Amino acid sequence: MAQQPLPSSVQPTDVYGGDEVSAIVLDPGYINTRAGFAGEEMPKQVLPSFYGHITSSNRDVFGDQAMYPRADFEIRNYMNRDSVVEDWDAATKIWEHALVNRLGIPRPTPPSKNGLNNKPKPAAEGEDVEMADEADLDETENYEKPMAENPLLMTEAAWNSPKQREKAIEICMENWACPAFWLSKTPVLAAFAAGKATALVLDVGGSNTSVTAIFDGMVLKRSVQRSPVGGVWLSSQIRSLFEASEPKVEVVPTFMVENKKPVEAGQPADARLKTFDFQISPSFRAYEEERVLKEFKESVVEVWRGPGRYLAPGNEDYAKNLPGRVFEMPDGSNQMWREQRFKAAEGMWDDNAAFPSATEEGKITKAQTVPGLIKAALDSIDVDVRPALLANVVVTGSTSLLPGFTDRLNHELTAMFPSVKVKLHAAGLSSERRFGAWIGGSILGSLGTFHQMWISRKEYEENGPGIVEKRCK
Amino acid sequence: MTSRDVHDVLNLPSDHSGAPRPSKKQKTSAPRPNLKGLAREVQNLGGDNPIAIVPEVNFFKKRRFATRKPVAKWELKAFTNSARGDDGALVLRHWKRRTDDGAPPVEGAQDGDGQQQRGGGEGTPASERREEKPEDSAFAKYNVKVVVPHYTEDQYHSNLQNNDWTKEETDYLLELAKDFDLRWTLIWDRYDFTPKPPGGGGDAANGEDTSTAVVPAPKQRSMEDLKARYYEVAAKMMAVQKPAQYMTRPEFELYEMMQNFDPEQERKRKQFALNTLSRSKDEAREEESLLLEVKRILARTERFNEERRELYNRLDYPATDSDINSFKTSAGLQNLLQTLMSTDKNKKRKSIMPGEGVSPSNNSGVPNSAVSETNPANRRESIAASATSNNHHHHARRDSDARTPATPADPTPTSAAAAAANKKKGGGAQQQPERRKLTQQEEQVYGVSYHDRLGSGPTFRYEKINKLYSHKSGQQQLRITNALSELDLPPRLVMPTAAVTAQFEVLWGAVTALVDLRKMSDRLDGEIKIEEAKKAERDRAKGIAAEKEGGKEKGEGGGGGGGDGAAAAAGEGEKAGEKTGEGGQTKEDGEKKRPGSSGSLTAAGHKRSASVLSAASDKSSKRQKK
Ligand SMILES: Nc1ncnc2c1ncn2[C@@H]1O[C@H](COP(=O)(O)OP(=O)(O)OP(=O)(O)O)[C@@H](O)[C@H]1O
Ligand SMILES: [Mg+2]
Repeated sequence: MAQQPLPSSVQPTDVYGGDEVSAIVLDPGYINTRAGFAGEEMPKQVLPSFYGHITSSNRDVFGDQAMYPRADFEIRNYMNRDSVVEDWDAATKIWEHALVNRLGIPRPTPPSKNGLNNKPKPAAEGEDVEMADEADLDETENYEKPMAENPLLMTEAAWNSPKQREKAIEICMENWACPAFWLSKTPVLAAFAAGKATALVLDVGGSNTSVTAIFDGMVLKRSVQRSPVGGVWLSSQIRSLFEASEPKVEVVPTFMVENKKPVEAGQPADARLKTFDFQISPSFRAYEEERVLKEFKESVVEVWRGPGRYLAPGNEDYAKNLPGRVFEMPDGSNQMWREQRFKAAEGMWDDNAAFPSATEEGKITKAQTVPGLIKAALDSIDVDVRPALLANVVVTGSTSLLPGFTDRLNHELTAMFPSVKVKLHAAGLSSERRFGAWIGGSILGSLGTFHQMWISRKEYEENGPGIVEKRCK
Repeated sequence: MTSRDVHDVLNLPSDHSGAPRPSKKQKTSAPRPNLKGLAREVQNLGGDNPIAIVPEVNFFKKRRFATRKPVAKWELKAFTNSARGDDGALVLRHWKRRTDDGAPPVEGAQDGDGQQQRGGGEGTPASERREEKPEDSAFAKYNVKVVVPHYTEDQYHSNLQNNDWTKEETDYLLELAKDFDLRWTLIWDRYDFTPKPPGGGGDAANGEDTSTAVVPAPKQRSMEDLKARYYEVAAKMMAVQKPAQYMTRPEFELYEMMQNFDPEQERKRKQFALNTLSRSKDEAREEESLLLEVKRILARTERFNEERRELYNRLDYPATDSDINSFKTSAGLQNLLQTLMSTDKNKKRKSIMPGEGVSPSNNSGVPNSAVSETNPANRRESIAASATSNNHHHHARRDSDARTPATPADPTPTSAAAAAANKKKGGGAQQQPERRKLTQQEEQVYGVSYHDRLGSGPTFRYEKINKLYSHKSGQQQLRITNALSELDLPPRLVMPTAAVTAQFEVLWGAVTALVDLRKMSDRLDGEIKIEEAKKAERDRAKGIAAEKEGGKEKGEGGGGGGGDGAAAAAGEGEKAGEKTGEGGQTKEDGEKKRPGSSGSLTAAGHKRSASVLSAASDKSSKRQKK
């Protein structure tokens, strides 16, 4: 502090609205679970919502480091494709892992007992880290109240059911003995992160893409629209693209490659694959393949920027002449991608351009495309607020990081509402887009005026878990 | 390397070419001992003007050491938030700078106290608790809530019954309004009322309601429905608590606004909004330009009207009561001129001939010395103004007042008057906004009303009516009186209060309009008759058969006797035509509806009341005239 501190009587606490009470913000999503302290600008912990389950010993392991090939190993997710918690036991464990073990919430137990001092952690060799994690996990169960000092702010999907919400407060209050709890919807928080109280939030996440109108900091329930057109769906489109290309592109995940030799573009891979003396479960392989696809998404796929759709006459020829991108698979085979990189993501905007999907859920309709969702959301709410919403369109979710996404969105919206002023708010920092909801929670949880909102322990004890429905509207 | 070398290299003229050495030595001797290596070289580059090297002093550190204040201490302090309304059950902790005496800020303590006492039902004395009680959050004061109307069971039954709304649903609506702080978008969004099955709740209070009502299905309420109901309840409860006449101004405004809420209009507005949203870009642009155009046109007509009104104002002169018939002949006019001239001369005024301005162009040309003719925009104004001044003369001449002009020269007073008029106008425009405009409510409250300008001395309200009469021709006066007597109204009002006269004026206007219309229709009728008669004549000329048919037709179309009369009087011209028209009409009246009556006759039929009222009298008057 270079400045002389003000006398405490004139400290502008009420001008700067922050008042940090070391609240914890937890934002579970289908792909990632994010956790950290309110008031910070990034979540300290981001771990996959997928976790490993060892069938032989019936143990669960969490975190990226624990996901390596081993016997009797399955990958599971505690969330379902609706971005709603499905397996509460696993959810509790994974959250505890994130909050207590990894976030390092100060514990009320003496240092001699918390195991931090006497157990030096070995370097990042997988097995050992996992051991440490598991050991920590055992210990946390011994603590009576791991988070007795920290209020917890959790996020939920806008379509979460009352039962799920009650379960969340139960875990917070019963298992962790938090002093206070709050449940907030992700689009609301994403709007807060963009500094808006009224906004139309487009969240293009992992398993879902949703459009939600936020009015004065609250969700307009009638406006909530969602479709599976998210990151996972995009991955399946890329698979279809690989299938359709000539020759077929095979996805070989990194863990299977022993070594590789460089090959010419378009040539078959020259690599030796690892052999395992145990069965690799399909779920693990799929998880690893998804990593490759994610890399492909991040480095190759691009959204056709418009104006007009990709399928409009002339556009494809133009795209063919644009510079392509080379992508090298883990096994060394590589290829130049030109117009296909636009085709992969075009299905999000134009159902006719989507690759035909083998599964039923992979097929999408016009209403499920991004423009369709926005139109439906706006149609279902009062006319008077529509212009205000269109002037505050907040774009969040990691899949929106695809290059060209916001350009295309802007074109689609201005074409749809030619006489209204459309303004997009898409954070420039990629981390702000990836953690939009968490950051909003961080802001909310550290606001001085928010402290009157918390559901306190006492209120929970008096009213039971039903209180969450009454309070968190 | 010395500065000389530098000068050589750069080809700079050396200003001390003669004896540079000693001076240089002098200068450099002082700093040299403590400079070494690169530093010295750098110093030398400056040559004869050595580079000033200011030692960098960091004052921050020094001052910090000098004050030697103890490190600010922060502590993890517990606090509560009284806005929660849970008596401080939730204690959170945040880092705060420790204050020396440890006493919490005063306002916080007071707030907390109030909260504690309000809620505290325990036996612990307040003084004992004060020490351990955590301080109140500084943010508690931002907690504000809207006030929604409350009503008791009785009040609801006596004031707020509504066929469309049960009490339960009204309660639910008000609850939501409170929860969502009257944000209607949210209220409508979350509105989800499911009426309870009547079997469960057999309350005595709403027993009558449930017994008659069928199980109501949950209604689909639009936002306008919700608003309408809420405003209805709010306005009524407001009136119950405080009758309208005692409300303060803002209260009354709110009350009126809520009372006048029109869901239908709101719905229409939203429809419009929807349409605007779905406009295409071209349409939007076109509309914008059209709007601009309209604005311009409106502004222009506004200005035009303004000017015209002004002109009329100036041309307006009070009507005389005296008989003007004597001036209708040229001889009479001559007479008038003579008298005027003589009075003028008596007052030692110049001859009116130039001022009167036999040609108006002359008139407008005279006063331009004062009024700036240079400004073309002002031109019209100046003309108008000079017209007024002209008017002045008329005044002066007509009422032979002893009005002495400022100067005997005529053009000067004219222009002066024009200037005065201009000034007056400007002053009026400036003064206008200063006077506060009363609203309708205030006018009611203070009993303020507006009058036309009154003359000096007492005036009677009915005189105004009389004046209206006097403007009409005798015949019309008669018709009007007839119409009024038909309506059982005395021609002179018995109790001419302001309201009554106003009302009477309205009625009077309607009657005169009727009479005028009647006259019009009569004339049209007459013309039709004449044309028909002409046609019949032509037909007759054509041949016997045609003649017969024509006669029949005429009989059908024009209405028996009237038609004949018309045929007879065909040559007589308009007056006669009018008369026959009347004849036809009276017939028509007698026979009510005849199938073959012509268009204008039907129109007359519509205006029957007028014709009935005056037909008889009309005839008699006509005859008298003849
Ligand atoms: N740079 C990137 N470009 C494109 N896609 C990306 C990028 N980074 C991450 N993704 C994709 O974004 C998805 C994850 O998004 P996000 O973290 O917002 O989802 P989530 O919040 O966990 O899930 P959900 O909101 O559906 O519950 C993954 O499918 C990932 O492949
Ligand atoms: Mg998400």
